[in-house]
Amino acid sequence: MRPDDAELDEEIRSNLALNIQERIERGEDPQSARRAALDEFGSLQSTRDAMHRVWYSRWSDAMLLLLQEMRIGLRSLLRTRGLAITVIVTLALGIGANAAIFSVVRSVLLRPLVNRDADRLLYIRQTAPGIGTENLTFSMPEIADLEARVKSISAFGDFSTVDFTLIGFGEEPRVVTAGVVNGSFFEVMGLRPVLGRLINAGDDGPTAPPVAVLTHRFWATVLHSDPAVVGKIIRLGPGNATVVGVLEPSVPYPAETQIIANVVTSPHHLGATMQKERWHRMTDLFGRLAPGATLEGARAELKAVHASMVQAHPESYSAAARIGLDVKTLRDQLASPARTILLLLLAAAAVVFVIACSNVANLVLARSVRRESELAVRAALGASRGALRRTLLAESLVLCVAGAALGLLLAKPLVAVAARYAARFSVRALEATVDAGVLWLGAGLALLAAVLLAYVPRLPSSGRSSALSRAAGGVRITPGTSRRLKIFATTQIACSFLLLVGAGMLVATLNAMSTANTGYDMRHVLAVDVPPPAPGAGGKATENFFQEATRRIGALPGVEGVASGMVVPWRDPLSSVLKLQFGFEAYQPANREENPTCMFRPVSPQFFALLGVPIVAGRDFTDHDRPDAEPVAIVSQSVAQRVFRNAEAVNRHLWLDPRAGFEPQRRRIVGVVADVDDENVVQVPTMTVYLPWRQFGEPSRLFVRAATDPYALVPAVTRTLHDISADQAVERAATLEDVRTQVLTPQRLNAFVFSAFGGIALLIAVVGVAGVLAFSVGARTREFGIRLAVGCEPRQLRAGVLGEGAVIAAAGILVGGLGGAALTWVASRLFGVAQMPGPLPVAGAAALLVTAAILASLLPAVRASRVDVIQALRSE
Amino acid sequence: MTRTPDDPRLELLQGTLDMLILRTLQWGPRHGHGIGQAIRRQSEELLKVETGSLYPALHRLVKRGWLKSEWGLSEANQRAKFYRLTPAGRAQLIREQDRWSQLVRAIGRIMNPAPASEE
Repeated sequence: MRPDDAELDEEIRSNLALNIQERIERGEDPQSARRAALDEFGSLQSTRDAMHRVWYSRWSDAMLLLLQEMRIGLRSLLRTRGLAITVIVTLALGIGANAAIFSVVRSVLLRPLVNRDADRLLYIRQTAPGIGTENLTFSMPEIADLEARVKSISAFGDFSTVDFTLIGFGEEPRVVTAGVVNGSFFEVMGLRPVLGRLINAGDDGPTAPPVAVLTHRFWATVLHSDPAVVGKIIRLGPGNATVVGVLEPSVPYPAETQIIANVVTSPHHLGATMQKERWHRMTDLFGRLAPGATLEGARAELKAVHASMVQAHPESYSAAARIGLDVKTLRDQLASPARTILLLLLAAAAVVFVIACSNVANLVLARSVRRESELAVRAALGASRGALRRTLLAESLVLCVAGAALGLLLAKPLVAVAARYAARFSVRALEATVDAGVLWLGAGLALLAAVLLAYVPRLPSSGRSSALSRAAGGVRITPGTSRRLKIFATTQIACSFLLLVGAGMLVATLNAMSTANTGYDMRHVLAVDVPPPAPGAGGKATENFFQEATRRIGALPGVEGVASGMVVPWRDPLSSVLKLQFGFEAYQPANREENPTCMFRPVSPQFFALLGVPIVAGRDFTDHDRPDAEPVAIVSQSVAQRVFRNAEAVNRHLWLDPRAGFEPQRRRIVGVVADVDDENVVQVPTMTVYLPWRQFGEPSRLFVRAATDPYALVPAVTRTLHDISADQAVERAATLEDVRTQVLTPQRLNAFVFSAFGGIALLIAVVGVAGVLAFSVGARTREFGIRLAVGCEPRQLRAGVLGEGAVIAAAGILVGGLGGAALTWVASRLFGVAQMPGPLPVAGAAALLVTAAILASLLPAVRASRVDVIQALRSE
Repeated sequence: MTRTPDDPRLELLQGTLDMLILRTLQWGPRHGHGIGQAIRRQSEELLKVETGSLYPALHRLVKRGWLKSEWGLSEANQRAKFYRLTPAGRAQLIREQDRWSQLVRAIGRIMNPAPASEE
């Protein structure tokens, strides 16, 4: 529709012709008619410009020009394909990494929750800094106290988990984790059902009918979004429950569960321990701010009520543990564990982007120096500086747009990887997707890079004779350009150094963790979860089941031994719960100190032998340690050392602290075993008390020692267990070695991600250094030629170029080291959690970089020493 | 472009050029040169529209949808771009004409107050 300039010209021309024609018809002679018409018309140019401006704004003119320049730029880049591809890939890596990390950061830290009025939804926790616990959770009596007295919270929702064996939906028995909640939980959370209804106040109390709500993920993945699920009756642990609804998709916090049920479904929750014992803490607490109340006000009131509660029940709150209370919005609670790691990742991605940009800047700079002659000719012919800049901008835009496009393609798989990675720190990471926001970020980064790159090269000073003389001379490097090239290369080395040291730290940590001696024989032991239908529902039946299982599995071919316990090392969340205070014979705690807290582990006979834990003194448990026999215990070496000061521990007595609600029954210590830590991946000396499982507790984990491949035994073991009890769930069979590997996954991933960043940075930096030196050698061909001609050894030239590379690397490492130290200082000021790297990662990263820089300068060095003297001298 | 002080032609009032163009096209399509001539002739040589304003104004009116342009042949068989009123242009002409006559009346009252109507 819009007329182009040719049409405007034609219109003017035709009107002029009409005018002339008219005049001729009136009798003027053609010559003067033409002159008069032109005279009457006025300025052709300004009229045409005014017509043009009606249709085209200045802005669109500029864009059109730029597009045209971009077409030219594209053509000229196609001629230097290698350079273009290097630049595009480098930018793509930088932009892709940033886009991926950004989308995860946004979904974890910035995106709102689905919960109604999420900024008034609070997560309340008890802290115990004295025993290093950030979240002690609550017991029911504590919750009742808070509920009765806190006014700034309109309603409390409580949530605890319990494992049930679920039978129903026409599937195999499976163990599900269920959230057990009170009637106001969903109201407090502000969540809605997608089907049926949620649990409400009518479902509270021990007499309500048992009901369950399915979580959206379980309903969608396992039940394939079956709409007829509401109203079904399922077997949940010891009893039945009716499915009343399906929850909308929401953040699974504090735990990923398959179903959420009311209190009456869990015998444990109805039991006296749960209801009455102040120390029995297993419940997460949510609250909704009352109208008009603020977070600060609620925090102050909660803290005050909590403090008076602690004062009223001194027996339940150890002074040494310094139990306190804190409250955050749920959103902050969800984001806080991931914040540090995500910000670190964001910083790493930004560093990679800086490296990528400076590398690209180098390449572009080198290229622009090579075409200085072209620019100089254009300047001499009258091209304005703006026009030259536009040419450069058009070219860098082509590069950056291509880089961004490729980067965003990369971003999609990268987001998936990054989300799965970050999900270990915050479940919200799973919501991360590539969307418009990420695309804008990519476009923004590309534009930023393009503008930076267009302003990197110096323009030839227009109209000077020097420009044209340079135009004739081909490549000639100016000191300014050379300095800039080296600054960029140094920046890259400095940034790579930072990333490599960071990655080195993480790898060193991981290495220390995974090679640490655990005290277990991990390779041949298979651990299997064999949970009772629901906690507290087993009793005698469970005991018989495990005895029978031990006997039958022990008879299987290839099995060297069977034992049972309650905790699979590192895997079971229970490991931290099974901790109690113990009293010891002839041991008086120092003034105002508590009785020592020890892990306690009910285990079967043969447990130590099976897992390779040496018995240092005394004996193992035997089948004779029955409930009716003498109460006995085995302690770990730490207990013997700390409590009995290395004196003989065997035959002394210990007892469970009566304040924890146990009868003060004295148990004779019959053995001492080596220390093992089944809770922390990094082993710390652990005081552990082992009790014979028939006298205390209820086993739920089976350990099978295999002669050969432990996994080959899994089918036979499962079959045997199902033979004994068809409804028994059998799950998560794995060797201890694999359990540990699994547990170390976050560390492994951290190390992997940062190593990947470091590797990318190193690669880019090597390309950068090699490029700078190759360029500087290329530009100094003549100098090298002369030096060779006057008798300089090629060896000296090689050494000179290698030295240049080494200087760049050394300067980069120095700058990087200083920068790193500054960053650490800032981080320790801001977060208080900065860790200085050990000497090994620093030295390793420095050595790696210097080696890489020297390798990168080898090729240019060899080229320098092989300069053809005649050719070089003739070149000008 | 420059103008001598004794030039008898009148300066066009701001905003009236569009109206004049629409008016000259009332009875059928014309080309740019013809429009310029028509304004000049009908004003008895008092108004002379600069081509530097006329041609951009034509394009502006096309862009606003009041005129339509198409290439055709003049009486002398010369190729020329013809402009004609669109229905929207016709409506605009009527609006501008109203506004103009109101303006003239208002200014006329101020410049030549009728003594009879004062009291």
